Amino acid sequence: MLKLFEHDKLDVNNLTPEQTAIEVRKLNLHFGEKQVLEDINMLIPKNQVTALIGQSGCGKSSLISCFNRMNDLLHGCEVSGQVLISGNDIYHRKQNVATLRTRVGMVFQKPNPFPMSVFENVAYGLKLQGVQQRRKLDDAVEQALRETGLWKEVRDRLFESALTLSGGQQQRMVIARALALKPEILLLDEPTSALDPLATLHIEELLNQLKMQHTVIIVTHNMQQAARVSDYTAFIHEGKIIEYSDSDSLFTMPKRKQTESYITGRYG
Amino acid sequence: MVNGKFNHEQKQSMVTSLTAAVAGFLVLVLIALSFFILVRGGSFFWPQSIQTIIFQQSNGSYQTQYVKLDAKTMRVGEEIMHYRFSSAQQLFSGQLTLKQSSIISAEISPDVAIIELNNGGTVIAKVASINDATGNTLGMQAFEAVQGNIVKLIASTELIRKGELADIHRALASLDRRGVKADAPARVKLSKRFYELQDSLEEVEQELAGFTLNVAFADGSIYPLNMREISDVSFPNSMGLTDKMLSALSAFAAFISDSPKLNNTSGGVFPALFGTIVMVLLMTIFVTPFGVLAAVYLHEYAPRNKMTALIRISVNNLAGVPSIVYGVFGLGFFVYVVGANIDKLLFSDDLPAATFGAPGIFWASLTMAILTLPVVIVATEEGLRRVPQSLRDGSYALGATQAETIFKMILPIASPGIMTGVILAIARGAGEVAPLMLIGAVKFAPALPIDAEFPFVHLQRQFMHLGVLIYDGAFHSQNIGNGSSFIFACCMLLLLMVLSLNLIAIFIRNRLRKQYAQN
Repeated sequence: MLKLFEHDKLDVNNLTPEQTAIEVRKLNLHFGEKQVLEDINMLIPKNQVTALIGQSGCGKSSLISCFNRMNDLLHGCEVSGQVLISGNDIYHRKQNVATLRTRVGMVFQKPNPFPMSVFENVAYGLKLQGVQQRRKLDDAVEQALRETGLWKEVRDRLFESALTLSGGQQQRMVIARALALKPEILLLDEPTSALDPLATLHIEELLNQLKMQHTVIIVTHNMQQAARVSDYTAFIHEGKIIEYSDSDSLFTMPKRKQTESYITGRYG
Repeated sequence: MVNGKFNHEQKQSMVTSLTAAVAGFLVLVLIALSFFILVRGGSFFWPQSIQTIIFQQSNGSYQTQYVKLDAKTMRVGEEIMHYRFSSAQQLFSGQLTLKQSSIISAEISPDVAIIELNNGGTVIAKVASINDATGNTLGMQAFEAVQGNIVKLIASTELIRKGELADIHRALASLDRRGVKADAPARVKLSKRFYELQDSLEEVEQELAGFTLNVAFADGSIYPLNMREISDVSFPNSMGLTDKMLSALSAFAAFISDSPKLNNTSGGVFPALFGTIVMVLLMTIFVTPFGVLAAVYLHEYAPRNKMTALIRISVNNLAGVPSIVYGVFGLGFFVYVVGANIDKLLFSDDLPAATFGAPGIFWASLTMAILTLPVVIVATEEGLRRVPQSLRDGSYALGATQAETIFKMILPIASPGIMTGVILAIARGAGEVAPLMLIGAVKFAPALPIDAEFPFVHLQRQFMHLGVLIYDGAFHSQNIGNGSSFIFACCMLLLLMVLSLNLIAIFIRNRLRKQYAQN
């Protein structure tokens, strides 16, 4: 409860450009006829953990998919508005999507290790960037695995198949795989929903360390988790941001009725 | 009231029994097929006993012959025996067709020999004696020593021919070109040496001709066989089981390493085996990248619309086009259009003799590649479909482009599926005969498609193919006996070849599966 007495929380509606990692302006997203996101405007603070909460199908996963343009892969998906990262609109037609995704890493709900060795998995992104030198790869892999606290567990089996790891280890390896590229922003789409409590704890601890170097955005169903790990929280309902503020205020003194109903479990 | 007759469990067990019966029938058919081919093919190699029969001729007189049984047939309630025998007139092509009733006696005497000649023929007779070059008569025990002698003599003549004699030929030829006078000292010296060598060769040849193996036929007549023509003498009647097995093994080894003899009815099938394997491998080299790339486009890039569906349906239907149609296409398009134009552009010096404008192994394997293309495309697409979306997303999320994702992630994971396609393509390609006969497979090809002659790989050459050999043999020897077990032996070999190619491919697939297993 120490957090309650911290008063260095930023006002998410008035961030300076230096404090901002992502600026979303008038973002609308359609899947064919269906409008999934409606007029989203938000500023996401740098080097903080921001959580997106809301019911299933409310559009929170679609929103973080906009941040690294994973939505492009889906048929019939149309985006309008702007998403600015370091001042550049990522939906600009000159934006290279592959480069964007190296800067904005993403981790999915279910661990998706590639059927290769642990080393190959973590080095996959770097090799795509043209890093061939064995030394550089070795160092980067070790560093990424250390960052996720996995190094001690897997250093003797780096060249064994990644599928032999446990679910929690796999998910941390997937995070390490994204971290190897040194992204500014890390998107996590319900990263612990397929994991057991202990593995979840590991990941939550990890998120706290990660925010030193990266901006972390996490989508979660689990409100306790959002309250535990995040500095800021946005509540999304039916494609709109209902309330967005620092987590302590949002979970203790929600300003909107809908938010209160949701966090107290009256619906959703 | 059919529904009321049986209870639920009875119905269940009926369905189980029905499916099990069908599966069992299938296994039976498979066993019967391989057993039949193996037995008939294997009997080609198994040393057969030689009978000494006494039979009544149509004019009432009696005759004795050493015979080998080729086949038995039934005609009007009586068994007809088809025998092979040798005589001075018909050294290895004598055939006897006798009614069972006309055979007075049949026995097996241990000292009748089968003498195999280098030209592929076999002589059935008793061995009487050996004559050496000086006319001395030796016993059979000297056989190996004499044979060793002959090998040495032949080797020495080859050495002279290919060594010194060839050098002198070349030197003389170059002297000619420089316009050296006929009586120039160098030329005279060379010519003299040339004639000396010729003489010594002739001497050796004469000595060689002096070695004869005298064989006795059943009627008591003696026939001298030239020793240098003989490759092997065996006594099947006095062989034990082990000897017979060893003999069968060495016969099999000879079968797969020798050239065909006596109009493809005897000898080995090495050129056909080699041609088949080279054709199948070339086909695999052509079809795999083609099929994989086409499948990648259809599954990964093509928009999901009616056009793509139409293309997919057409590809599937291509698999059902009769193979002879592909053969005609290969001949009409590849050989007469593409090949003829290649000749015009690149080999115009050789025209009108065709280089690529004639049927050959290159066009044959290309045609077979087109024939097996649908199989590879369908199997590859199936493999691509099995790569989960989560892995693709994972790759994209790490900054991979679509091409990088396909070639670094999806294709390796789909590789077992691709191998399945390749296995099916090999099985289909190796067994196909009809199109090959139009586009390059021939009854007898003097040269192999790959040999020691520059540029080592001769893709324009015609080639021999096991399937074509079988077809040809079956078509040309409708009469029983001669060559029919040769055909079965070819069938067995073809079966073994397809099986081993498949086993290799399956082995590779299993390794890939293990490497890229998903959970």
